[in-house]
Amino acid sequence: MTLLWGFLWGVAGMTVIAVGAILGVWWERKVAARIQMRYGPQQIGPFGSLQMIADVPKLLFKEDIIPDSADKPIFKYAPLFVFGPIAVSMVVIPFSAGWAPLNTSVGVLFFLAVPSIEVIAILLSAWASHNTLSTLGGIRATAQMISYEVPRSLAVLAIVLLAGSLRPLDVVDAWRWWWLPLTFIAFLIYFIASIAEMNRGPFDIPEAESELVAGYFADYSGMRWASFMMAEYGGMISASLFGAALFLGAGWPFTGALGVVALIVKTIALMTIVMWVKWTLPRLRQDHLMSFCWKVLTPLALVQLVIVGVVLPWL
Amino acid sequence: MTLTILAFALSGLLMAGGAAVVALTRDLMRMVIGLGTFLLGVAGMFLFYGQAFLATAQVFVYVGGVLVLFVFAVMVVHRSSGGRPVLESRHDIGAAVIALGVSGMVILSLQDSVGGWLPASASGGAAIATELLGGHLVVFELLGALLLAALVAVLVIVGAGERR
Amino acid sequence: MTALVLCSLVFGVGLYVVLTRREIIAILAGVELMLGSANILLVALASFAGADGGVIGSVALAVLVVAAAEAAVGLALVVSLARRSKRSRVEELLEVKG
Repeated sequence: MTLLWGFLWGVAGMTVIAVGAILGVWWERKVAARIQMRYGPQQIGPFGSLQMIADVPKLLFKEDIIPDSADKPIFKYAPLFVFGPIAVSMVVIPFSAGWAPLNTSVGVLFFLAVPSIEVIAILLSAWASHNTLSTLGGIRATAQMISYEVPRSLAVLAIVLLAGSLRPLDVVDAWRWWWLPLTFIAFLIYFIASIAEMNRGPFDIPEAESELVAGYFADYSGMRWASFMMAEYGGMISASLFGAALFLGAGWPFTGALGVVALIVKTIALMTIVMWVKWTLPRLRQDHLMSFCWKVLTPLALVQLVIVGVVLPWL
Repeated sequence: MTLTILAFALSGLLMAGGAAVVALTRDLMRMVIGLGTFLLGVAGMFLFYGQAFLATAQVFVYVGGVLVLFVFAVMVVHRSSGGRPVLESRHDIGAAVIALGVSGMVILSLQDSVGGWLPASASGGAAIATELLGGHLVVFELLGALLLAALVAVLVIVGAGERR
Repeated sequence: MTALVLCSLVFGVGLYVVLTRREIIAILAGVELMLGSANILLVALASFAGADGGVIGSVALAVLVVAAAEAAVGLALVVSLARRSKRSRVEELLEVKG
């Protein structure tokens, strides 16, 4: 019985990501367009909302090109492992007080740990293309992702310290509105580090379209490329959901089903900010990116932990 | 009940399969993938024995960290080889006998300490934290010092970039 | 019992890898095999002996941390060695001078 439930939740998670990716791409194209002082897709469907329904079959019908010198099994199956862990990590997000698909005792750590499988899959898929630029892009992407895991985890640690538990629903129950100003630095660090984890926004030099010709997924076409994109959008959705759940109090003024709606509204707001940041800021150079992580974000996260630790006895 | 047996079987299969790939394959990247499979199997086994925190830590540290290091090392060491790096071995009946002998010794000496199926205890992170930050605080501090020493050692050994 | 046999056999496979492979990175992978299976064996036997979950977790965590640190330093040594001598097969490395 529980196996069936787990399977259904898995299907639900995949559907959420697929639908989220479709809606997310549409929303991103509209937001990007407005920032660039033009309209986005407007022909197909009201406000261009059915544009993705036109794009997805195009992707599916593209010719499946596999380079001759590529490592074929890894080339074919590594993109699956890029996208899979994101879907799996969504299952521990607490949607509202009392609503969490999988309420394990180490849920928060589970959410942080599972995307690290994605890192090795990206590295392997960059290797499998067997050309120098892809490998270079893959190494840069991997170095960036494993570096930004550190401030991200430290920022979430601040909330865990206040809540006293790694269980997602415990964190939601213990959340108070004045945690937000107290852990605002942690929220900012989590937000920036999540954008960097997904190779998005100003941190997207590994996939830099103008410099490395789409970097580590240059040789992937059609649905394979789409799985990298779905991983990016799925990562954005899950990071925003988790950030809203932990730092903004999942569905805070409300509980139950209305709380889930409140959480989704907060998530859409966070996602819009992510897209806004991407289309406004110029790309960071690789060494600036790394020094920003280690010399700015990590010490700030430690400072935040000290602040929380000092305040804790009075709570 | 069957779910736990399934979990045990799956984790055991991943461990054994990963180990077999590491021992027998002729391609370096396949070997690294085999190691990754083994590490995921170990994480599953930790979960089977009720150590949820340890399973998550295993995935975080090993699959997300040490395995990435392995791939980086392969990429750096075999950069000039161009094609796919080939892994050779000196398959040897003597080595197999020694390995089997050691396994047998371990099994024979420990076979009285194990009972039936097991385990009921499930512990999250809280119990481990109470132990590490309570009675065994010195161990915790020493582990931190060890990690710091390893970090500094790696930086010193690898140095600041290549000498051309 | 199954766990004991499985972990001992994987330990043996790790030992076999260390003895037969000629590539240092593969030998390090074999060491990781041995450490992982030994860790599981530790957890299994301690659970059977009825030890407290927190204590088992602490000891296993300590083993995990030490093994990870050792793998990192070992790989750093391999990379540094290969940079100097451009070789990574064990027989060739025995002849490195200087």
